[in-house]
Amino acid sequence: MGGSGSRLSKELLAEYQVRGTRVPGELARGPALRSGVPGREAERPRPPGGPLNPSRFALQDLTFLTKQEIILAHRRFCELLPQEHRSMEESLQIRVSLEQILSLPELKANPFKERICKVFSTSPARDSLSFEDFLDLLSVFSDTATPDIKSHYAFRIFDFDDDGTLNREDLSQLVNCLTGQGEDTRLSASEMKQLIDNILEESDIDRDGTINLSEFQHVISRSPDFASSFKIVL
Amino acid sequence: MLRQWSAPSGQGLGQPEPEPGVEELWEQEMERLWSSQGHVRELPYAMVDRRLLRQLREPQGVKTSCWQRWRRRRQTAGRRLGEAARRLAQGFGLWEGALYEIGGLFGTGIQSYFTFLRFLLLLNLLTLLLTASFVLLPLIWLRPPDTGPSLNLTLQCPGGLQPQTGVPRFHNQLWNVLTGRAFNTTYLFYGAYQAGPESGSAYSIRLAYLLSPLACLLLCFCGTLRRMVKELPQRLFLGQDYRSPVSVKVFSSWDFCIRGREAATIKKHEISNEFKVELEEARRFLLMQQQTRAQKACYLLTYLRVNVLTGILVVGAISAIFWATKYSQDNKEEPLFVLLQYLPPGVIALVNFLGPLLFAFLIQLEKYPPSTEVNLTLICWENAVGEELYKLSIFNFLLTVAFAFFVSLPRRLLVERFSGPFWVWLDREEFLVPKNVLDIVAGQTVTWMGLFYCPLLPLVNSVFIFLTFYIKKYTLMRNSKASPRRFRASSSTFFFQLVLILGLLLAVVPLGYVVSSIHSSWDCGLFANYAAPWQVVPELVALRLPAAGQRALHYLGSHAFSFPFLILLSLVLTVCVSQSQANARAIQRIRKQLVWQVQEKWHLVEDLSRLLPEPGSGDSVGPESLHFRASRPRSFCPGFPCPGSPGQDQWPGPCLEDPAGLFGDRSPARRFRFPSGSEL
Repeated sequence: MGGSGSRLSKELLAEYQVRGTRVPGELARGPALRSGVPGREAERPRPPGGPLNPSRFALQDLTFLTKQEIILAHRRFCELLPQEHRSMEESLQIRVSLEQILSLPELKANPFKERICKVFSTSPARDSLSFEDFLDLLSVFSDTATPDIKSHYAFRIFDFDDDGTLNREDLSQLVNCLTGQGEDTRLSASEMKQLIDNILEESDIDRDGTINLSEFQHVISRSPDFASSFKIVL
Repeated sequence: MLRQWSAPSGQGLGQPEPEPGVEELWEQEMERLWSSQGHVRELPYAMVDRRLLRQLREPQGVKTSCWQRWRRRRQTAGRRLGEAARRLAQGFGLWEGALYEIGGLFGTGIQSYFTFLRFLLLLNLLTLLLTASFVLLPLIWLRPPDTGPSLNLTLQCPGGLQPQTGVPRFHNQLWNVLTGRAFNTTYLFYGAYQAGPESGSAYSIRLAYLLSPLACLLLCFCGTLRRMVKELPQRLFLGQDYRSPVSVKVFSSWDFCIRGREAATIKKHEISNEFKVELEEARRFLLMQQQTRAQKACYLLTYLRVNVLTGILVVGAISAIFWATKYSQDNKEEPLFVLLQYLPPGVIALVNFLGPLLFAFLIQLEKYPPSTEVNLTLICWENAVGEELYKLSIFNFLLTVAFAFFVSLPRRLLVERFSGPFWVWLDREEFLVPKNVLDIVAGQTVTWMGLFYCPLLPLVNSVFIFLTFYIKKYTLMRNSKASPRRFRASSSTFFFQLVLILGLLLAVVPLGYVVSSIHSSWDCGLFANYAAPWQVVPELVALRLPAAGQRALHYLGSHAFSFPFLILLSLVLTVCVSQSQANARAIQRIRKQLVWQVQEKWHLVEDLSRLLPEPGSGDSVGPESLHFRASRPRSFCPGFPCPGSPGQDQWPGPCLEDPAGLFGDRSPARRFRFPSGSEL
C-alpha cells in the first residue's frame, strides 16, 4: 500500500467521479438511490467503461476536504482493513465495523464517539462505516466546513434517541457524557434538573419543552467557540 | 424519524409497503434542492445523495461549453489560491505539527497561546520587512553624500553610557551584547542613521524613518483588530455579560480536538466544575436577592476593602518602579552600574511576578469571576514603564529562559523524586496561560515602544519569540500539569488580541509625544536640525507637493473641516445605535409572536382532535406521536431526519404512522390524532 502513493490519488479521484449517465427521469426510481439497501444495489447504473471511467468532476466537489486530506483519509481507512482487503476497489466498497473506527486515536477519547459513528453510518443497522461515510465524517469536522452544517450534525449527534429534537432525556445524557461518570464529577439529580431547566429556558423559544434544530442553531450561533472546537483533524 | 414511527404499534393500518409515501417526500425534497443555489457539499445528506444531486444539477449528458469549463477551472484555481493564502496568513504553516500535538494533549485553550505566539512572530516579521524595505535598503543603496563627521557622531551618539572599567575583560563582550553597547554603531540604534538635507535627494530617508514605525503600528493595529472582531462573542462586555449563557456552554464546551485520555478526563473535570460553579452562583444570586440590609452593607464593606487594598498595591508597584529607574539613572558612575542598569527591569519583573499572586489571593477573598481576575492582573502589568527598551527586551527573554530551566525543571525533578506532603502540595507548575500571554505582550509592547529608537528591534523580538515557542513547549510538555481552570479558546483569543491592542495604544502614546514635541539630540541621528521629528512632514509638504495639494492638506487639517466631520460622524453613530435598538425591539416582538403562534397551533390541534371521530388506533399512538409532534417539520427537512439518511430503510414491520398517511388514502384528518395537549 505504501508504494502506490501517487497512483492512488489519480485513481481515487477518478473513482469518485460521477459514474454513468444518469438522467433526471430516472429519479422516480427512488429506492435505487439509497446505499446499503439490500437488493437494490443491482439497480444502480454502471458506467460503460467500468468503475475507472474518468469524468470531469472530482471528489473535492462533494466534500470540504482537500486532495491531500482525502488521500490521508484513505490511507488511514485502509490501515483499519485486514491485509487482504486493502485493494483499491475493495477499500471503497467494504464497510468497517464500529469497533474498528472507534479505535482511531482521534475518536478514542471522545465521549460522543459512538454517536458520531452512528450518525454518519449509512448501513441499515448503523453499525459500520464505508469509506464514503468516513469522508463525510471528516468533511463535516474539517476546518472549512460551514458552521451551518457543523451545527446540523452536532444536533444529530446530541439527539441520543434520534427523534429530531433534544428533549430532557437527551439533554441529561448529553450532560452526563460531558461530565463523565466519576463520582466526583457527576451532577446530582437536583443539579441536573436545575441545569436542564436553565438550558430549556434559554434556548426553547417556542416553549414546547424540547429544542428543535432551528433553536439549536440559534443558540450555537452565539458561540464563537463552536466552530473551532467542533473539529477533528487526522 | 421513520424508524421510530414504525415501532411498537403494529396496528395494521393497511400500508404494507412504506416506500411510496417516503419516496414522494424524497422526490419533493430533491426537486427543492435541485433548484436551490447552495453548493452540494453544504447539504446535510450522505455522500450518495449529494452525488446524485450534483448529477442532477449538472447532468452528464450535456456537453459543457468552453466557457463553462474555463469557469470551472477558474473556480478551482481560485479556491486553491484561497487555501494557499489562508495557509500563508496563518504563518506559513509554521509549527503546525507542534500546535496539533499541543491541542490534542492540552486542549484548544492552551493551544491558543501558542497560536498567539505565531501571530506575534508574523507581526514582527512584517514590521521588519516594512522597515527594511523602506528605510534600510534605500539608505544602503543611496549612500548619503555627507558622511564626513559621521565617525565622531557615532562615537558620541547614544549618550549616557560610559565605558566600564570595573568588569573583568572576558565578560566585557557579553555585557556589551546584553546592554546593547556592542551594537551602538550598527543600524540597530537610532544614531547610526544619517541623511543629507531634504532638498538634496529625491527619496526622503527622514520621512521614511519617521513614517515607517507609524505605518507598522497602524498595520499591527488593523491586523489585531481584525482578528479580534472575528472572535467577538456576541454580547460582549468585560464584565457582566462576559459569561455566555449556560446552554451555549453545554453545547459547545466539548473540545473535539482532544486526543489523549488524560486530557479528556481533565476536560470532563473542568466542565463538571464549571457547571457546578454556575449552578452555585445562580443559587447564591437568588439568595443574595433575599438578603437583609445588614448583610448587604457587610458585603459592600468587604468589596471596598478589597478594592482599597488593590489600589494601594498598584500605587506601591508604580512608586517602586519609579524609584528604581530614578536610582539607576542617577547613579551612573557606580562600579556596580552594569547591575544597576538592570534594576528597573528587575523591579518590573518582580512586580509582575508578585502582583498576580497577590491579586489571586485577594480575589479568593472575594470570589470574583475569572474575567475580573484577569482584568486586575492586566492593570498590574500596564504599569510597566521602561526606558532601556532593548535591555528590557533581553531581560524578559532571559527571565523566561531562566524560569524554564532553573525553576520549573528543578521543581518537577524534585516533585517526582520526593513524596512528602510538601512536595505533593507543591506539585508541578501549572501552565498559566494569562500570565504567559501577558509576558509576551509586555515584550511586544516594549518592541513597539522602541520602534522609533531601535528600528531593528522587531528582528530581535522575532528571534526571541521563535525561541520562546520552543522553550514554552518544552515547559508545557515536560514540566507542567494542565491547569484545571477553565479557559476557552475563543474568549481567550479575543482577550489576547484586546490586551495586545491595549499594549499597542500604550506604546503609541509616548511615541506620539516624542515624535511631535521632543527635540532630538543636536548632533545625532536623522532629525538633528529639526525642532521635532514631525517637522520633517511640513517641510517636505512645502517642498514637494504642488500648491493645490498643499492647500487641500491644509484644509483637511483645519477646524473648518474637522467640525463638520465630527458632526457627520455623530450622526452616523446615532443612526447605527437607534437601528440596533429598533432591531432588538423587533426581535423581542418576533419571539413573543412565535410563542403565541405555537400555542395557537396546539389549541387548534386540540379542537380538531375533539371534533374528529376516533379510529381504532387509540392510545398506542401515544409515544410515537409525541416524537412525531416534535419532529414534524414544516418543509420536509429543515429539522431532520433527512431523507436518504440512515435509518430510512429500517422497516421491521408494516406499521405506519401518520406521515405516510399524509399521502395514503387516509383522510388528512388522521394527521391530527394527538393526545390532547397533555405534554404541553
